Amino acid sequence: MKEEVRRLLSEKEVAGFLGLRRDERGAVVPHLFTLENIDEVESLVVEEDQRYSPGKILLKIVAAHPGEKIGVMARGCDERALIELHKRNQLNLDDIVILGVACTRALAEKCRCPLPFPSKIAHGEKVEGVTGREELEAIEKLVEDERFRSWMESFSKCLKCQGCRSVCPLCYCPECGLAEESIIRHGEVPPEFPVFHLARALCLAGRCIDCGACEEACPADIPLRKLSKRMQEIMKELFDYVPGMSPDDNNPLSFTGDAEALKRLGGVIAAMKEEG
Amino acid sequence: MAEFEPKIVGFFCYWCSYAGADLAGVSRMQYPPNLIAVRTMCTGSIWPPYILKAFQKGADGVLVAGCHIGDCHYLKGNYLTAKRMAVIKQLLEFFGIAGERLRLEWISAGEGEKFSRVVTEFTEEIRKLGPSPLKEWNSEARA
Repeated sequence: MKEEVRRLLSEKEVAGFLGLRRDERGAVVPHLFTLENIDEVESLVVEEDQRYSPGKILLKIVAAHPGEKIGVMARGCDERALIELHKRNQLNLDDIVILGVACTRALAEKCRCPLPFPSKIAHGEKVEGVTGREELEAIEKLVEDERFRSWMESFSKCLKCQGCRSVCPLCYCPECGLAEESIIRHGEVPPEFPVFHLARALCLAGRCIDCGACEEACPADIPLRKLSKRMQEIMKELFDYVPGMSPDDNNPLSFTGDAEALKRLGGVIAAMKEEG
Repeated sequence: MAEFEPKIVGFFCYWCSYAGADLAGVSRMQYPPNLIAVRTMCTGSIWPPYILKAFQKGADGVLVAGCHIGDCHYLKGNYLTAKRMAVIKQLLEFFGIAGERLRLEWISAGEGEKFSRVVTEFTEEIRKLGPSPLKEWNSEARA
């Protein structure tokens, strides 16, 4: 991997390479490697199970250096996030060179990741993922009232730190709906729940690539991952759509859609059955 | 405890369902007074969080009504509504609010009778379901 990064930089295939590096104090941090400081590539960290979301950092770099080719080290989830950002015109995949890293089985289990590898692997071995369905089943088997109470108790711990939003690779909107006072009253902790959390889940429907960064960031241990996993299932069941898989398809909630897509809704929406 | 009176928030599109409501009104058709009607230009223009907000603020049921598929004034706005409502319903289910509390109907400007029937039906359905769990949670939290 280090060899490949050096080659990309010295042959000027990329103007910079975004990866992880062990800094002078021993901490592993995201870093932009460049030709001028090519010796730093020695400190590139790839073996360890270190995860970060390069999406947001990349957006900043791309905005500052339009048209430049940038290399990036990406795990499966990172690659899916980049594909989503590309679809949403936030960056151009033609200008990005992805060096894929496959996750270890241990990391895949820790992340409850169903697809712990990118489409092209430059480092590591492809391992089977885990679905994480059990945790959804645990919620689904509760009766409605218990389900409601368990969610409300989790949501009531919310500190409104916005960590979930800040860390999310797909939360790039310059103005966020959660800041809209007609939805969430300002200056209250916890924020009005469940509307705060459910509105976020809805906003990310068909966009969330289920990386789990939000749940990792949450200081109140709200099981946000269950929401995002269920949202992904809903999109798959209703529209046969999985975000982040291909740059060529589109989120069904982002366009009005054809009659074909509506036919599938009959089971959920009674009014659609009548329409035939 | 006083008998439960459902509170229902309706989002109606300007071109069809709101006109349908007007027709029901001028035709002196009867329907329960539990409905609070909100007029929107198109059901496709309802920002989904507003539906959640209605539940947050104590609605026991939310009724969304727009033009029949193919009749949308903006051509395909209601296509988007159908997709969104399906997603919201399932999200509500998973969260613990019965999906039946959110209802989507297509009501044209000529269907005053259907409007009054749907509102009556829906009100009775919600009455059977009882108060929304959110409403109860909020009153417990305040007490």
